[in-house]
Amino acid sequence: MRFKRILAIIIKEFREILRDPLYFSLAFVVPSMIMLMFGYGISLDVENIPFAVVDYDKTQLSRDYTYKFAKSRYFNLKAYVEDERLLDKMLNKGAIRVGIVIPEHFQKDLSAGRDVAVQSLIDGTLPYRTKITKGYVAVMNAAFNLEVLSRYIAKIKGIPFEQTISQVNPISLQVRYLYNESVKSIYSLAPALIGMILLMSPPFLTALGIVREKESGSIYNIYSSTVSRAEFLIGKLFPYVIISIINANILWIMAVSLFGVPFKGNLPFFAAATAIYVICSTGIGLLVSIFVRTQIAAMLVTTVLTVIPAWLYSGVVIPISSLDKIARIEAHLFPAMYYNYIVMGSFLKGVGVDILWKNVVALIIYSILLFTAGYLLFHKRVKA
Amino acid sequence: MKLFVNRLQVMTVKELVQLTRDIILIIATIYLFTFDIYVAGSETGLSLNNAALRIYDGDHSALSRELISRFRQPYFRFDGEILNNKEAIPLLDKGKAMVILDIPLNFQKDLVSGRQADVQMLVDSSNSILGFLASSYGGQIVADFSQEIAMRNMGLKQMPVIKDECRVWYNPNQKMEWFMPLSELLTVITLLAMMLPAAAMVREKERGTIEQLLVSPLSPFQIMFPKILAMTFVILIGTVVSVFLVLEPFFHFPIRGSFILFLIITALYVFTSSGIGIFISIIAKNLSQVVMLTILIMLPILFLSGSTTPPEAMPGWLRVAVNFSPLYYYIEASYSIFLKGVGLNVLWFKILSMTAIGLGVFGIGMWRFRKQFG
Repeated sequence: MRFKRILAIIIKEFREILRDPLYFSLAFVVPSMIMLMFGYGISLDVENIPFAVVDYDKTQLSRDYTYKFAKSRYFNLKAYVEDERLLDKMLNKGAIRVGIVIPEHFQKDLSAGRDVAVQSLIDGTLPYRTKITKGYVAVMNAAFNLEVLSRYIAKIKGIPFEQTISQVNPISLQVRYLYNESVKSIYSLAPALIGMILLMSPPFLTALGIVREKESGSIYNIYSSTVSRAEFLIGKLFPYVIISIINANILWIMAVSLFGVPFKGNLPFFAAATAIYVICSTGIGLLVSIFVRTQIAAMLVTTVLTVIPAWLYSGVVIPISSLDKIARIEAHLFPAMYYNYIVMGSFLKGVGVDILWKNVVALIIYSILLFTAGYLLFHKRVKA
Repeated sequence: MKLFVNRLQVMTVKELVQLTRDIILIIATIYLFTFDIYVAGSETGLSLNNAALRIYDGDHSALSRELISRFRQPYFRFDGEILNNKEAIPLLDKGKAMVILDIPLNFQKDLVSGRQADVQMLVDSSNSILGFLASSYGGQIVADFSQEIAMRNMGLKQMPVIKDECRVWYNPNQKMEWFMPLSELLTVITLLAMMLPAAAMVREKERGTIEQLLVSPLSPFQIMFPKILAMTFVILIGTVVSVFLVLEPFFHFPIRGSFILFLIITALYVFTSSGIGIFISIIAKNLSQVVMLTILIMLPILFLSGSTTPPEAMPGWLRVAVNFSPLYYYIEASYSIFLKGVGLNVLWFKILSMTAIGLGVFGIGMWRFRKQFG
């Protein structure tokens, strides 16, 4: 292996990338763009849910109840309607996502100490939004219940309103959120996105870069040259690793300064782990490029190989601890999961090498396997 | 006119033949319409399932055990007790537990004697949605238990509370598999509708075969349009396959409305998206650029579709922008047909809007294309 030859290939590759300005700028623009789009765009915080109310009671208390929903930032009162059938229509059209039906005698029953069934109709088209909406409705009801109950107990027992709390609610639950104390979805999303983008973009660049030579036929120059397999691969992949590391830096800066995500961990450790991860995902691109002949196919195969594991097994959507047994084993087979531990640990949890070292080792092993396979499968011969 | 149709037909067949020559592309397309949809549908998504729960029970009384027994699957999975408070944080740090419930000493004694008992819950909110769901489910469990104790203590049979009778429509059990696969299918359709025609065009540019087409008596429209026709045909077949081989048998996806209507809308939508594909093919000089541009354009389109972020949660100017996204109308119409079972009488405006936007994009694209090749 000669360093000079590697250098020559690196220079050739850099020139080639630089001479295609559109491709070059897209190599940088696309990752940042994904980060921006998802970061600013995907607000998983559910707010301003449009809702309508059918109030059959029309009393002080039923209006109070409606008002409680309307004034919260989670709900947005669209209309009072006269009839339940109108709610159906509005849900069908997508004009509202929640309908609330307050029955007759709402105030009378509650004042007399009887329970009342209030119907809430929720549009279930988007399941995750539905679940959160249900959660909000339950929270609203619980808060309202506590008030009604306290007033009732104060009345029948003749004790002051303030003292009723321990009677009405004997167990107080204190929830402490760790790591993402304000439960902001962007704090969870931005670090996870770094992991996702760095799994998807390096393989794209790499696979397209190599397959482009195959498709245009310029790879025959390499086949017929004195360059060895290892020299070619190292020289060819190096620029893409560098581009991806620069991208990683940009993404990190975006997460911290643009989205204000706290970085609590050890920066040098995180940088080193990220470099390994990028090398690892570049290896995926290498492997793809060996099996496909056209750039379009390279793109599709890379999408299939990286996007789904990045999404599914990285712990972005489902925490690894909640996966069932088989899925947990599958998750261990993809690099996304290990990096997700590293990125979440470094950003939100503030843990370091002592806890995360196993994940780094896994990524190193993964990279070695990928590159060995790539090296063994890459031939300087044309298949007969 | 006969000549015109004949030429379109010949060119369309040529495109289809060319497509079948690229085996990997075919495999990838088949994969996208079948396995990809299946995998996307099998994921449980952002819902709380089997959250790893550890409990520190400082009381070990009948009441504390009763409370613990209420944290059950499917939401929580009880992974055992911890004996020491100090174990909690490391478990959360390592990701071995997601929720830790801390029941204090004298829990039962306090409750029996009418004092308030404090229970603490530590929630890993590094995933904000799941963190919120865990605390909201946990909160509900504790609140229900608390209410029972209150009734027992006060000797009341009934309390003046609101019983939440929640009815979820269209997808009563909030099954993720009634949402994800269709969402994925619509994304796949969007991706292919933009990329395949653009790729077919740019490949001609790259290989130089475009010159042959340009010296032939074909007009620019007759060169481009058959590519769109061929790809629409492929995508429609893929859609049918996907719905009847994956969505129906594996996920029991309901088809409450007219499937034919859905296919017609899909065809319309593919046409409108291919207008964007024409734009890409004008700008791009090689296939790598097609790929990058497709991704670049795809992202805002997906984002503005309202499938991940509801328009009402967006800032004002974006809410306006959503109205210009064809995918937004397409998604709304598709879910309405499949889940709500509504027909043209409700959807006509959405379909009209989608078509209008699409015709605009297609027209401008075709006009620019003519300029480049005319």
